[in-house]
Amino acid sequence: MRPAARAAPWLLGPLILAVAILAGTAIGETRLPPATVWQTLANHLWGASHAVDRIDAGIIWSYRLPRALVAAACGAGLALTGVVLQALLRNPLADPYLMGLSAGASTGAVLVSIAGVGAGAVSLSAGALAGALAAFGAVVALAHAVQGGTGGGRGTRAAAAIILAGIAGSQMFNALTAFIIARSANAEQARGILFWLMGNLSGIRWDDVAPAILATLAGTGICLWHRRSLDAFTFGPDSAASLGIEVRKVRGLLITVTALMIGVLVSKVGAIGFVGLVVPHAMRFLVGTRHQRLVPASALAGAVFLVAADVIARIIVPGQVLPIGVITALVGAPAFAVILIRGARR
Amino acid sequence: MSLSVHALSVRVHRAQLLHDITLEVAPGECLGLIGPNGSGKSTLMRSLAGLLRPRAGEVRLQGQPLARLSARTRAQRIALVEQQADTTDRLRVREAVELGRTPYLSPLRGWSPQDDARVDRALAAVEMTALADRLWHTLSGGEQQRVHIARALAQDPEVLLLDEPTNHLDIRHQLALLALVRELRITRVIALHDLNQALGCDRLALLDGGRLRAIGRPEEVLTEAALRRHFGVGAIRTTDPSGQPALHFTHAL
Ligand SMILES: Nc1ncnc2c1ncn2[C@@H]1O[C@H](COP(=O)(O)OP(=O)(O)OP(=O)(O)O)[C@@H](O)[C@H]1O
Ligand SMILES: [Mg+2]
Repeated sequence: MRPAARAAPWLLGPLILAVAILAGTAIGETRLPPATVWQTLANHLWGASHAVDRIDAGIIWSYRLPRALVAAACGAGLALTGVVLQALLRNPLADPYLMGLSAGASTGAVLVSIAGVGAGAVSLSAGALAGALAAFGAVVALAHAVQGGTGGGRGTRAAAAIILAGIAGSQMFNALTAFIIARSANAEQARGILFWLMGNLSGIRWDDVAPAILATLAGTGICLWHRRSLDAFTFGPDSAASLGIEVRKVRGLLITVTALMIGVLVSKVGAIGFVGLVVPHAMRFLVGTRHQRLVPASALAGAVFLVAADVIARIIVPGQVLPIGVITALVGAPAFAVILIRGARR
Repeated sequence: MSLSVHALSVRVHRAQLLHDITLEVAPGECLGLIGPNGSGKSTLMRSLAGLLRPRAGEVRLQGQPLARLSARTRAQRIALVEQQADTTDRLRVREAVELGRTPYLSPLRGWSPQDDARVDRALAAVEMTALADRLWHTLSGGEQQRVHIARALAQDPEVLLLDEPTNHLDIRHQLALLALVRELRITRVIALHDLNQALGCDRLALLDGGRLRAIGRPEEVLTEAALRRHFGVGAIRTTDPSGQPALHFTHAL
């Protein structure tokens, strides 16, 4: 292939993402013409002086654009984490919440919003981040206690231990969440928290954009740096070790980095399911299993998918905004079924 | 490169899998590892590859303790073909062999034409060139085994560890593989179940119950008494029509 032809897909991806983000700012309850969107952006970004309606400009710049940007960062982060966990743990069902992150974030969120921990001084998102990291710590400690020993197939058993510990930790934190809701929430609060648990981007403002994007960019960079290590896990951790990978070090680093990233993202938008599970599998069909291509492709596809899902969540029921997790699950579950069936037939 | 094992003991949980093993493999030598199921051949292989941390004793490469080498350096010197390794990834044969170049690549040093040449050579050595674009899960067991061997060869090792490499191979590929291994100039350790094939090694080490029971030239190790005692079979030593020594197994004891 000529260099130009080879570079084309990598220009196409960001282009599609840019178009999706622009669409995300144009489409909503009040549909605004692309020209207005463009003029508003121009006014803000390079001080052009187009005459734009003040309210329209406010909607575009203060609400929809940060929302679309955070959606893109979340989609990319979730998909990327799915890629990494599926590769390291050699389990096609591994997803970003396996490590107890969403369960812990929910517990933190209900502790703040319903049980009143922090007495109003702690934000919901700070509580969720603390909860996610506490749960992750608990899962890691449990996995450590379970694995023990140094014998044959050590790496393989450690992967199994992490998965089991993640399931146990998630269940425990979910039970805690349910307990707190049942004990102290009124119906109104319960509805609000349910909305948050399914993913909610409506509270996103500019303050949230930088942390989300920085977390995702840092995570993507670190995963790309370790792309060959991720490849080396193809035949399992023992095989990776014989190819010169320091399995424990690399696995610990990448799982911690992605957990921190997901912790930040979940604390902003709640637990959005299926992106991290489905997008990596779909991208393996498209670009193959080598992480040099799979990591950027999944991040881009996840970003586009979540921006699109957010647009759909805003317009599918007129006058009402659905939790974005409902859309990702409604699209993601059938897509996952198709992938499984195709996988079985291949 | 020489590989030596000094008073090596390996323990998993409470089970002691290897007891106080000492042996030496000379540079360029081919050492056969034999023993009944569960005798510790794979465990010793994994220790030689640096995948198991011993409880006592150590493995040395060219006199240097293996534990002191970085994983990357170790992988540039030692390649291991495991007894079994599978994947659910949709991976092509060539990509699987390319993994063998991992220890020579870094985040900044990318793939080079030399790497391609190594991969081509490894594929040709196991006669898999024609299947290079096939997907992993469409291969037969023997073909998968040959890909694993190609991956180890692509690693360009100075010590090659093969754990039952002739498993799943048809007779022609068994003989071809053993001939290929015999021609390599590097140090080789190879675990084998077919004792007649083991006769072709330079020396044999006999394991039973995690202990080294005998080591030496094949005809010294594979005596009728040793076969009786450690493998539980009656056997007669003969010479085949071409004049090579051979074992004829008569019955299980
Ligand atoms: N993680 C482990 N925990 C407990 N015992 C183990 C473990 N791994 C291996 N063993 C035991 O150690 C012994 C040696 O195993 P090993 O795989 O080295 O045997 P082997 O000589 O390669 O056998 P085979 O010819 O069947 O391949 C076996 O009895 C096995 O059951
Ligand atoms: Mg074995």
